Amino acid sequence: MANIKTGITLFSLGTLFVNGDLNFEDCVREAANMGAQGYEIVAAESIPSYPYVSDDFLALVEKCKDKYGIAPICYAAQMDRGMLKDRDLTEDEMVARAINDVMSANKLGCTVMREQYLLPPKGLERLAPYAEAFNVKVGIEIHNPESPITPVMLEYLNVIEKTGSKYIGFIPDFGCFATGPNKPIWDRALSKGATVEQLERCAQLKYDQVPRDEALKMMEKECEKTPALSDAINSFYGFVQFKKDIRKELDGLIRMMPYCFEMHGKFHYVDEKLHEPAIPYEEILPVIQSTDFDGYIMTEYEDEGGYDAVLQCTRHIAMMKKILGAQ
Amino acid sequence: MKYAKKLNNLDNVIVRDSLKNFYVNGKKYGYQFELKLDYYRGHFLSVIDEFEVHVDGERVPDEHIKFCINGKAFSPIEFDKCYSEFWPVTEAAVIKVIAPGGLAEGEHQVDVIMYYRSPYMPIGDNHEYMAIDNCGSRKMVITDQEGK
Repeated sequence: MANIKTGITLFSLGTLFVNGDLNFEDCVREAANMGAQGYEIVAAESIPSYPYVSDDFLALVEKCKDKYGIAPICYAAQMDRGMLKDRDLTEDEMVARAINDVMSANKLGCTVMREQYLLPPKGLERLAPYAEAFNVKVGIEIHNPESPITPVMLEYLNVIEKTGSKYIGFIPDFGCFATGPNKPIWDRALSKGATVEQLERCAQLKYDQVPRDEALKMMEKECEKTPALSDAINSFYGFVQFKKDIRKELDGLIRMMPYCFEMHGKFHYVDEKLHEPAIPYEEILPVIQSTDFDGYIMTEYEDEGGYDAVLQCTRHIAMMKKILGAQ
Repeated sequence: MKYAKKLNNLDNVIVRDSLKNFYVNGKKYGYQFELKLDYYRGHFLSVIDEFEVHVDGERVPDEHIKFCINGKAFSPIEFDKCYSEFWPVTEAAVIKVIAPGGLAEGEHQVDVIMYYRSPYMPIGDNHEYMAIDNCGSRKMVITDQEGK
């Protein structure tokens, strides 16, 4: 039986934060009010002294902990492989940056760190002794279009099992279990002239595993008339792609569960009946609950539809508690 | 022209009412305005691929531009070397333009052309990353910086 804790990544409130409607402390207060037991920080978003943690920022985090009772659990690092103008970072340079991130995570008191898949498996292996020394478990994020059964993730799994380290593993993002189009994309296409019937036909092409180029060709005439349709098709095949049946992906998740330090509870829209139409929480959460997973599921709102982020996150946490409580 | 993603998290990357003349040795020596990143996170300046400032339809020579952040001032020609200079997403950069005499009283059109690479979003194998559009335009009435 799993021990699942409820958290939120402050990324969920990003639009409000970037516009100055909420400052860092406001975000932590909102998270606490929503019932989060801990939170995740996207370091390059929340920390002005990134990639370092200044004493001022640490003091702010500690003040917030005293006032609102919650602390950062996960430091979400970024792997900016393309930061140099003329070439990609080498593996040595990426490992050097990742070691810095481990040190920053530790300074903030985080025991989990999200790393991105641009750090190659060999780089993750090299990070293990530093992760152990600083007591920060580094998880590679599994983000759509990757999933627990895609070849690159199996390469990481191989390295993790080979090292036997308890400090390198995964952070699956539920977006990789999507079974349908998400509401913001659907609504945007509708607002730009597409019809429900057209969108349903486009989604069906993806369900039927028609290749992207073929799908675009089949819809060519209609796309010319309504360009929003080609945007929709491209996203159906891109970072928010979906498939009818995710049984194999969930089996893959179970297989790697001993190495999962945290989960990203990705969502696009939760309706008033506490249901996310694109990502089948009713199917995913019982699978996790039946394992020995011990960690946080971090509510992660992908703010693209312009809905009320606080209301959406509140609904998401309520949805999770409802599904988990019913098991 | 290649595709560049525009996030539209902000209404305008150029900060409202930020256009001011500045003084050196008691004389108007130029003008400045504030610029923000329209993204969810900050970036290192080395990701900037294109940066131009146009005022009242005229392009400002790069040599006259100082991009001020973190208590430092950079020229566009230096951006590619600034891989450890971080621009936080909540902070506005001050764009200073050297222009002896400053701008005349009244309203001016400021246009910024800025594209950068999102350095963790590869779109190909050959150092290709998602291009982000951080362009902006704003008409502003110039004010004088007080006390200088």
